[in-house]
Order: sequence, then C-alpha cells, then structure tokens
Amino acid sequence: MSVQSDDPLEPFYFEHEDQVICGQSVSPITDGFQEDYPSVVDRFFTRYYYFKGDVPYQVLYHSNRICLVCLAPDHPALCQGISTVNFDIGNVDRSQNVVKGKGKKGGMILQAESTLALLTTDTGETFKVPSCIRGKLVEVNTALVQEPKLLEQLPEGAGFFAILLPKIENCDAIKASLLTQEQYEERLKIIKEKKSKIEISDDKQDSLRTEEPLQIVQINLET
Amino acid sequence: MVLVSARTALHVLFIKIIVFIKKNMKNQDLVDYLRSCGVCGVCQLRYLKARGSEYKDVKETLRKLDVEVNEIVENGEAAISPEDRPAKKARRGICSTCLGLFSEDFQMELLAGILASDFAKYDCQKIVLAICLPMSLQLKQLAMWFALQRKFGAAVDGNNPPDVPIKEAVKLILHPIICEKLSKEYDANGLMINIDLTHKLEDEEVEKLVKLNKDAFPAKAAYQKRIEISRGLLEKQYQPSKVKAETFEKYFEIPCSTVEEPLKLTSIDLQGPLVCVAGRYRKLSRELSHTPWVMNGQRLMEDSIEEIIIRHVGPHFTERLDKITFMSSGREDVDVRCLGKGRPFVLEIPNAIRSCLSKEKAYKMEQAVDTSGKVSVLNLQVVAREDLTQIKTGEEQKKKFYRALCALKEPVSVEILSKLQIPQSFDIQQKTPIRVLHRRPLHTRPRTIYSVKAKVQRGNPKALVIDIVTQAGTYIKELVHGEFGRTTPSLSSILGKHIDIQALDVVGIDLEWPPEVDNSTPTEEGATNIR
Repeated sequence: MSVQSDDPLEPFYFEHEDQVICGQSVSPITDGFQEDYPSVVDRFFTRYYYFKGDVPYQVLYHSNRICLVCLAPDHPALCQGISTVNFDIGNVDRSQNVVKGKGKKGGMILQAESTLALLTTDTGETFKVPSCIRGKLVEVNTALVQEPKLLEQLPEGAGFFAILLPKIENCDAIKASLLTQEQYEERLKIIKEKKSKIEISDDKQDSLRTEEPLQIVQINLET
Repeated sequence: MVLVSARTALHVLFIKIIVFIKKNMKNQDLVDYLRSCGVCGVCQLRYLKARGSEYKDVKETLRKLDVEVNEIVENGEAAISPEDRPAKKARRGICSTCLGLFSEDFQMELLAGILASDFAKYDCQKIVLAICLPMSLQLKQLAMWFALQRKFGAAVDGNNPPDVPIKEAVKLILHPIICEKLSKEYDANGLMINIDLTHKLEDEEVEKLVKLNKDAFPAKAAYQKRIEISRGLLEKQYQPSKVKAETFEKYFEIPCSTVEEPLKLTSIDLQGPLVCVAGRYRKLSRELSHTPWVMNGQRLMEDSIEEIIIRHVGPHFTERLDKITFMSSGREDVDVRCLGKGRPFVLEIPNAIRSCLSKEKAYKMEQAVDTSGKVSVLNLQVVAREDLTQIKTGEEQKKKFYRALCALKEPVSVEILSKLQIPQSFDIQQKTPIRVLHRRPLHTRPRTIYSVKAKVQRGNPKALVIDIVTQAGTYIKELVHGEFGRTTPSLSSILGKHIDIQALDVVGIDLEWPPEVDNSTPTEEGATNIR
C-alpha cells in the first residue's frame, strides 16, 4: 500500500489553478499562510483595563474606537463559576437599548461607573459589571443571559457584555483613564502582594482568598 | 347612360373646384393677414402647419400651397441676395412672432457663435441644440392666436395653437440647418449646445405679465403670495380657452406690434455628452484600496483602483478627471484580491469631448492599466446610460464567489473537512461588523450562503482553502470566525472550533455585464503569438 492512497485527506487537497493577470502569474492563496497569524483581537483591538475596587474588567478598544466591555481574565467570578448574567440592573434594563441610524441615536449614555449588567457566581457573590468607559451603548450580548457559562469557555472577546461607542473627542481622555496591558499586570502584582501579606498576618480566609493561588497560576501563564 | 355619367363627372369636378377655391382662399387670407402683421415667411408656414422638409424652401412651399409669393416675403426672408440687402438696415422687417429667430441673419450669428466656442475641441458626430427662449416670444404667439381668432372666428381653435409651436419649429427648422452647416447629426444624447436668447423687452413684459396673471387668475392669486411666472405656466395656462382676449388686451396688443430689436444671442455654452465606459477589473494587490482612502485629511494609501483606472481611461474622454464617477458592482476590502473574470465597473464621464472608443484604443488602455501591476481591466467599452442599472442590481442581488484561506488551531481531520462541505444553501444572521459599526447603522441582516467547500493545503494541515458562494452583501471574514458570536451560524460555530481567516480572494461575480469584448485586435494578437 502506498503512502498516498493511505492518506484520508487525499480527496481534500487544494489545487491552485493558474491565472495570469497584469502579465504576472497569480500566486496561490496559500502563499499568504502565516503560522503565527495574530488573533482577531490582536489584529484590530488594543487591550485596556478598568478596576472597580480590586476587581478587573477588560475594554477591547477597536482602531475605529468601538469598545467591547469584557471581564478581565483575572476577574474573580471566572474562578467562582458564573451563575447568572442580567442586564436588568433594577432601575433600567440595558437589553432594551435600541439604536437607530449611523449616529446610533437613542442609545443609552453611560458613564464609566454606570452599571452595565449584574453577574452572580456559583458561590453566590454578585458583581456589578461597570461600563468602564464613557460612551453610548450600541449593543448588549444577550446570549450571555441564556448561557452565562459561556463566559468561562469563550475565547477572548466573545464574552463581551456590551459594545459601546465613545465620542471621538473623548477617546484620548478615556484611554488615559484606563490601564494598559503593562499597567494592568503591574497592578495585579501589587494586589497579589498586598493580599499575600494579609494572608500571612491574618489566618482568617474568606472565599475570595482561597481562589488566589489559582489566579496566580493564570497570571503566570499570561505573562 | 353616357349622358348621366358625364353629368356626374361634371358635378364631381364642380365640387372639387369649390373645395379647392375654399381651401385656397383660406390659406391666402391667412397669409395675407399674417403678412399685414409683419410675420416672416417661415412663421407664415408655421401658421400653415407646415411639416419638416417643407421649411427648406419657403417660396416653393408657399407656391405648393397655392399662396401667392410677394415682395414682402422676399424682402424679409432667407432668399434675399446679398446685393439686394441694404448695407446697414439688414435688421429691417423683424418678424413680429419669432422676433427674428428663424431669420438667416440669426442663423449666421448662431453658427458663428458656435464656431467661436470650444466646439472644435469636441470630437462628437452628434449634436443637440438646447435653446432658452425669452418669455416674450411665447406672448407673441398668444397675441397672434387671439388676433387670428378675431379675424377668422370659430375656424381658430381655443385649445390647440393655430401654429406649429416655436419649440417644435426650432427642431424642424433650426436643427437641420445648423446640423447641416456643421456637418453633424442630430441626437438628443449628443453634444449639447446650450443657447441663451434674450429680448430687450423681456423684463418689461414679464412685469406686465405678473399683473395680467393676477387679473386672469384671481382665485389662484388670492392664496398664492408670490406668483412664479414660468415658461411652463405660460404654456399650460395661457390659451384663448383659459384667458379672455379682453383681459389680455389690457396689457398686451392684439395683434402684437412690430418690434425694433431682434432676439439677442447672449451666450453659447457647450455640454458634452455623459459617456459611460464599462469593463471588468481584477485586483492583484492586497494593499490597494477601492477608492482614495483618506482619514483626517491624510491619505492612508498611495493609490486606488479608482484612480488607476481613471488615470488611463479618462484622458481620452475629458480633461477633468476629477469629474469622473467610478462605480462598481460591490467592492472588496483593501486586503482582498479580485481574480477570475473580475468585477464589473462603470466610469461616468460628464461633458465628454468624445463618445466613442475604438477597440484599438480600448486595448491600449487595458495594456496601460496592466502596467500598474496591481489592477487589470478587460472588456472595456462604451455603454448606454440605461445599462447602468445593471451594475446596481449586480451589487445587491447577485451571487458572489469567494476563496478564503483559513487557519485552524489544530491539524484538520476528515471530520472537520466533511462539516465544511455544504452543497445546499443555508441562511445566516449577520450583525453589522464591528469594523464598520462606527459609521454604519446597527442591523441584523439575513444572508443566504449558497455553498461551502473546504480543501486543505498539502503539507500544511492547519491551512484550509474554503470556497464560499454567498448572496451579495455578506461579510465573509465575519462569516468565517463569527465575530464574537455576532454572525450566526458561522463556519466557526458550525465546526464548534476556532477558525480564523488569513486571506480572501473574490473569484467570481455572477453578473454577465458588461458583455465580453476582446479588444486585442487580430493583428496585435498575431504579433504576440510570434513573440
């Protein structure tokens, strides 16, 4: 038996068809393949972070200034297990947001501290997910309401809570108010050190602190 | 028997003579009256409702209509010989109804004016005259209408003008003469010669007309604060059936008085035809935008498809390349190639100096575009303006064929490949992609995917080449990776695996327009073969 006929992929191999344009032979599309091709987030977004107390959130800032608000990879809820996601934050239901036209007319105007959604964990803790930036609410990810567990598995970006559109003139100030990837990692380190000091000095441990070693592992993987 | 038939024949003859005399009498009476009012020979024919070629020789036609040709006709008319014409008083006998529009003097003036314009710059075989006439002229026609009614009573209708209207007469008389003298053909889509005519009494008469309008249509005047007197209003409302002669006479004379001044030729403005040049383009570069890409007043990319094509095709038709509009049946992203038979496009060239494109010239343009090394055009041809709708339907309704280079995180399996062989069509819901969301409204659009067929690169089991056929308007990149779940289903959700797109080619657009044309001439083809 020859090796070729053994190959189950044989019927699926791509064959380039020759074509000449501008007197040049058109290169096969496969020539452009890159092993280390950056991800969608790496290609078009810049990662920024926002802390609400010690709890980190991530803002994916698109080059066209559209922002995706997500949980930071070190958000404590990810380790506790996500139980529910709710855009009805009490006085207003963010999922009722409607925008019209190019200018996204009618979108809710949010401040960085405005609560975007409520998130509860399997351990019973509730987090108020903040908007992180000042801007207009364009879209909320209602798929998270039906399947909150998605947040734990989804690739980076897909677990976004909402899409916000900041004003052009506010962009510089907004970016300055957020933490860059470097600043974020720095801040995490400080928080960790602070907590481990508390751990040493204080034997009482609450649920959050038991999760800490896990978090450290995650951070090491990230860096 | 013989007697009876002879009698009948005599009787018939008798009747014929009477009819003949009656008709004759009327034409003669009409012409005599018109002549007494200072109406020129051409306009006399207008009132005799002459047709096309009958205006060519006024005297001959008058004779045919059994109208006596007298001195006045010869003096005021085209047939005048130069030596008979008084040196200074060439303007005498200005027709009271056309104000000299149909005089030979005016024809000469018009012709000289056209030749003195940029006319020679235009390489067009077809022309059309667009003459803007003063309202005075319309008033003259109306005054004569009233006069004829008074003179001939019920024989002159109150709804239909008694003459061949000036506008029509311009087409019948001036057009053929000017076309012949310039050796051009008439065509409504040809080079447009805009001629502006004014008359000294225009302002004064319009003022009177405003007053007359209030008088004649008091009901309308009551609720209309500002009355716009327009040519259209004159044409529609000012007829003996709608305006009383007595009202009209309060402001204007019936019949119209003779005038001192003829119409004045104020300006001649040339407007070349709008020429549409169609073809199909292919794009080789992954670093070339569709149209100039400008952000905050700065160019992001040096060149564009639009500019390359216009640069090589435009100068043949116009000096003003900036006035050319580039349209295509959809567009691809900067980093997407367009291969196969290419994408249909059209250049809309206003005020073109020529409207034809020879195959030889088109082939030279195609070759010139090829030298860019980035864009290639084929099937270059001039198309009718009506065909432009084709390109828009192509944009919205047609199937598009794509080839995408996609990457998996793991080596492909037969199972994965099988999931990506989808011969039947399915529907997706696609939200406006984030990359354009800042400037486009948020919508969820249903789109049909007609088929998906995946292959794998030999020796690189993570690299898939996926052929996708979709409804126009589908965002392919988002269809592949799903864009954070904003396009569902996506190839990623179908697989249940991460899949990203690295490169995209358009390989076909299902629009068989413009028609295929091989511009390479047989001789040149032979030459390449020898090489």
